[in-house]
Amino acid sequence: MTIAWKPVEPAYKTYLQLIVLIDMSILALIAIGLYLFSPSTDWLPNPLWLGIPWAVLTLFFGLFWSSRRFQFTAYASTDVSMHLRRGALWRLTRAVPLNRIQHVEVRQGFIERLLGLAHLTLYTAGSGGADLSIPGLKLATAETMKAELVNTIAAEPVSDSNDD
Amino acid sequence: MTELTWQRTSLLTLGFFVAKEIRQFVRNITNFIPVLAVIFVTDNDWLPYAVGGGYLVFIVISAILNHHFFLYALTDDAVHLRTGVFGKKSLTLKYERIQQAELDQTWYFRPFNLTILRVDSAGSAGKEVEIPGLPIALAQDLRQRMLAQAANTNHSTDSESNTGSVDESAQHIDLQRNYSLREIVRAGIMDNKIFVLLAVLIYPLSQTDVLEEQLVPWLEANVKFIEQSLWLNVGLVVTALVVLFTFAIGVTIASYYNLQFTIANQRYQARSGLLSIRTVSFRYHKLQRVRIKQNLRARLLGRFSARVSQLQPSAHAQQQGSAGAFVLPVLTQAGVDELCHWLQLPDRSTVPWQRISSIALLNPSFWVALVAPAVAVVGYFKWQPPLLGLVIGALVWVLLQAYTVARWQNYGYVMTEGWLGIKRGVFGRIESWYPLYKTQQIDVYQSPWLRLLGYADVIVYTAAGAQVIKYQPAEIAFNLQREWTATIANNRQRWM
Repeated sequence: MTIAWKPVEPAYKTYLQLIVLIDMSILALIAIGLYLFSPSTDWLPNPLWLGIPWAVLTLFFGLFWSSRRFQFTAYASTDVSMHLRRGALWRLTRAVPLNRIQHVEVRQGFIERLLGLAHLTLYTAGSGGADLSIPGLKLATAETMKAELVNTIAAEPVSDSNDD
Repeated sequence: MTELTWQRTSLLTLGFFVAKEIRQFVRNITNFIPVLAVIFVTDNDWLPYAVGGGYLVFIVISAILNHHFFLYALTDDAVHLRTGVFGKKSLTLKYERIQQAELDQTWYFRPFNLTILRVDSAGSAGKEVEIPGLPIALAQDLRQRMLAQAANTNHSTDSESNTGSVDESAQHIDLQRNYSLREIVRAGIMDNKIFVLLAVLIYPLSQTDVLEEQLVPWLEANVKFIEQSLWLNVGLVVTALVVLFTFAIGVTIASYYNLQFTIANQRYQARSGLLSIRTVSFRYHKLQRVRIKQNLRARLLGRFSARVSQLQPSAHAQQQGSAGAFVLPVLTQAGVDELCHWLQLPDRSTVPWQRISSIALLNPSFWVALVAPAVAVVGYFKWQPPLLGLVIGALVWVLLQAYTVARWQNYGYVMTEGWLGIKRGVFGRIESWYPLYKTQQIDVYQSPWLRLLGYADVIVYTAAGAQVIKYQPAEIAFNLQREWTATIANNRQRWM
């Protein structure tokens, strides 16, 4: 059985870049605030010592990391299971059998909504929240997938042979 | 629907509500740190008493209120609860949705033939319900009914309740084992909480300076002979440790006294206790993990301990940890074999354990090789004679490296007869068995380092926790993932 991986929407890359930008600007704002408002700046190093690594990190995450992550992120569904792979350098490939799914959820964060994206999360039992979450889907796709999954789960035959 | 007849629990259960209040206090003790700080800092003589007294009054009043507003009603198919002093809560728990129903005969109810019925439901929110102060006969009857319904078996609920005995004597008993006091003492030696106890005692002591400021001067002033002899000191410490050790054995005896293990109709039950009698049980099809453990002391005594986990529905239950788990604290080799036979585990003596690739040694060996020279270099400059540092560095390296290799050698995994087994441990041994078809998800994980080598970790998530099988060749890892996922997905058996 080969797995046909489906890529996620290209907007997901933009989403990742936006996240990187926001996080890095928060860091920058904190640093700028420190330099502007602290009473004595003697103990702080020359701003360049922080600024250059910051710029390098922003470029690394904004260009390399986000495109690698976007490239690798993909999902695949077979008749009986759902697969997801994600990560850029540290890579994870996850498989969830459909008959172990407890519930399904479509979520849209604020930035995702701007880009028309959504993510679909499948919850299983006992894993404490570490579940399969497919990012970078179009909202419509996510909704359809959710409906399909719910139908499949509901139609599942359960044998009670093991019951007694 | 029939009219509900709301009942209040008996007045004797006030003690239960007080105990619950106190338990809550202990659990949330960190919230009271500001108050404690005030007590410690203040010079006021009466403030600590005022706070303490105020809290006692609060406990009593809230227990009385909670008791007054705790109403339950029993119908043929559900338990209804109405609780809450200010915020009202009403809860209906259908018998068929009940995962677990246990009786807790705590010491303060035993003289009155009362018991606590504890019920767990399925679902991610996981409601745990306790009804205190039920007459034993009624509680047993109720529990039978709940479990019978939950299992969908058409047991006609026995209307005559077997008074007094907790045994489900109406059923055929497949296996019954009683554990003698000697075995329980062994269990106490094996599962000794002395170090936990020490840590718990030492932490607050170290925070408050009581030790340095009061205890030590007091000892020096009053117990002159302490300074006189080193051996006396050593003797005192040893005695103290022995007392703690014995105390810890006592704790184990109190909780496992008269342990009785029964298997009847696919239900496994352990009943034990000196003062409070607890019954813990599970049905076979709920089993998620079997863990057979043997620590160093247990190996010397030739005993094992076994723990069977089922799905813990709530985070709350997981926090409680061992409270609800099914544990047999002491088993002989024969006992383990017997248990494994009943749990339908594969024959453990003949399973083909597989080792992971020796590449797995590379990473820890690297760190060990980094630590040892560091020790040697530091020692070379700090210690007299300098050579001592080198020797100790070399020794540290040899020991750590040997431990690393031994760990790798003792690690094994196996997939056989539908069970995934993992064993590990150098001094103590732990063997975990999971029914593979109950797995929830399977991961293949690759760090840049693993990718460079062409290996991957396989992580198997079950309802009773995750297991990592490290260093599988990447190709094989992905194949295992695909294969196992398909096997699980095509299995139609109930998994919980």
